[in-house]
Amino acid sequence: MSELFVVGISWRTAKVAVREKLAFREDEVADTLNALTRDLPVTEALLISTCNRVEVYGVAKPGSDAPTSVRAWLAQRKNAKLAELADALYERRGPAAIRHVFAVASSLDSLVVGEAQILGQLKDAYAFAGTAGTSGPVLSRAVERAFGVAKRVRTETTIARGAANVSSVAVELAGRVFGNLAGKSVLVVGAGKMSSLAARHLYTNGAQQIIVTNRSPEKAEALAEEIEGVAQPWADLERLLAGADVVISSTGAREPVLTRAMFKRVAKARKYRPIMIIDIAVPRDAEPQIQDIDGVYLFDIDDLDKVVASNLAERAKAAEHAGRIVEHEAGQFEHWLRTQGVVPTIRALREKFAQIADAEVGKALDQLARKELTRDQQREQLQRVVQLVVNKLLHHPTTVLRGSAKEQGELRAGVLAELFALEISDQEPEVPEAEPVDEKPPEVQA
Amino acid sequence: MTGPLSVAVSPAFWVAVVAYCVASVLLLVVLAGKGNVRPIAVTFVVIAMIAHGSDIGWRGVQGVHPAGSVREALGFLAFIITGGYVLASTRYRLTLGGVVVMPVSLVLLLLARLTPAGKSEDLSVLGRIHISLATLGVGIFALASALSAIYLVEDRALRRKKFDTAAFKDRGAPLESLDRLAHRLVWVGFPIFTVALVLGAIWTARLGEDLGRIEYLLAVVTWFVFATLLVARQIYGWRGRRAAKLTLEGFAAALAVLVIYLVRRIVG
Repeated sequence: MSELFVVGISWRTAKVAVREKLAFREDEVADTLNALTRDLPVTEALLISTCNRVEVYGVAKPGSDAPTSVRAWLAQRKNAKLAELADALYERRGPAAIRHVFAVASSLDSLVVGEAQILGQLKDAYAFAGTAGTSGPVLSRAVERAFGVAKRVRTETTIARGAANVSSVAVELAGRVFGNLAGKSVLVVGAGKMSSLAARHLYTNGAQQIIVTNRSPEKAEALAEEIEGVAQPWADLERLLAGADVVISSTGAREPVLTRAMFKRVAKARKYRPIMIIDIAVPRDAEPQIQDIDGVYLFDIDDLDKVVASNLAERAKAAEHAGRIVEHEAGQFEHWLRTQGVVPTIRALREKFAQIADAEVGKALDQLARKELTRDQQREQLQRVVQLVVNKLLHHPTTVLRGSAKEQGELRAGVLAELFALEISDQEPEVPEAEPVDEKPPEVQA
Repeated sequence: MTGPLSVAVSPAFWVAVVAYCVASVLLLVVLAGKGNVRPIAVTFVVIAMIAHGSDIGWRGVQGVHPAGSVREALGFLAFIITGGYVLASTRYRLTLGGVVVMPVSLVLLLLARLTPAGKSEDLSVLGRIHISLATLGVGIFALASALSAIYLVEDRALRRKKFDTAAFKDRGAPLESLDRLAHRLVWVGFPIFTVALVLGAIWTARLGEDLGRIEYLLAVVTWFVFATLLVARQIYGWRGRRAAKLTLEGFAAALAVLVIYLVRRIVG
């Protein structure tokens, strides 16, 4: 039976200094996949290389120890000593490998549980394997099923719910106030790296425009250019606040630049339309009393961290449910995989039976075409054909069964009884002789 | 023009009562974090609405007009509230609102069906139009109030950074949408209520009742509160918390009118 396996390294087992040693560039993947299936006892292969994991998913040749070979091969290919990687490299075989692939796709093995990026990366890796011609029936089925499991996990659990980083939290909180960000204006106060990230995130989530203001006009211009915004003079801060819907502030000022007095005027000017302030500066840019003003929602960095922590705790809870889904789906996949071993036998059995039946029916039809028969004669002819087919089908198994030694014979008899649902009487049977197979077509008695 | 004062309750009434109870409990369960129960809760909300509507229809067949009396109007009011809630729920997640709306509709329905019929009422055309419009107006105000209540709860959770509360975790309708929708409802409900108030004054005068009675004064107070809200909103830009609180105050006055009416009719 083909055995699925995984060999790899991830954030769980190795620091980035080790992971980067094994990382593969995109242009290396095709060659690597071809080499894996050409040089090693691996019939199918897929390679996923991200900042948090490098993993080979493969199908081992029957009787081989492919995972061990892949471990050594990976180390050699990346000019690393296998002994150094021994603790970091892990392998999963058979059912454990299936569970691992499903868990990775469902983002249960990710650094931030529930993040969506890994699924896209796995899809890309699968596409690469398809292009390289190294994904076969088992791997394809496993990976495609993994996509299905990931979808199920995201639909049936809350694992992907809630923002998991500060930029996403800004978007989530803005959603709580405004719903849709379309048409909303974002004002960036200060030119910090974090505020530019958050502003960009809001922009990609539908905000209409980004305005940047900073005490240093040059820095404002530079940041505005970087994030496709518009720079405005610092002196116009109050006017800009009156026109903005979301404010992201991260100046380096020692004293608050967004004061309660200022916001009382701003709120009145904007007729108390809601405004959300994300203050990610330390020391804080906004006076905490601002949030008492109607229509003003103020969140500082601690608030954002609190939301992240709450969401991650929620995801951790959801991960337990997701784990059960993965376990159930992996069980079903294992069952499918096991049945693949008997498929060729089933196919051969059906083909052989069909051949025998076709041959006998053909001969009988020839006979029928030559003579005119009464209805009774037709029935008799049909019975003979069926009898002949049954005899031919049973001849070989009966002969083998009779010729089997006692223990082997009992075993075979048991299998046959189970396969054909036979009810065997305990009484001493009158053993019928195996009927000789008559190769001649049945004579029609006219 | 007069119909029967009281008829036996329909089987649909009991279905509605059970569905309202189950929906109330399930919505609480959803709010407690069991999101997978939501489709079942929504199903029971819809069952309650259909059964409630069927009950009103059944009574109509028996000759009982839905606005034939204040008592009947309560049942109709509850139906408007539930229907409006279902309609709004197709667009926004309003679990929090459902937790309030379902029990309120249930209580109103029980009051409408199980309280004593009291003395016979004048069922003139004028009286019916007044009761119908007043019921519709108050029903719309009730929906606006439910949205305002949700607004206040969500606003409080956000302002106080209560990120672990059900109000925050449920990810209900955004504040701006709640505020806008409540405002629109008040806009629609106000002219209807105004006409109802004028017709009510004429009807009362024709009946020869004293216009200085507390329920009439409270009805005028209700009108003034909502009129103030609309003017303040238009001219001074009132919105958010202030508007939500005023909407609730206006609805409380309207509810007081209804309760006093009902008690007076029962007691006679």
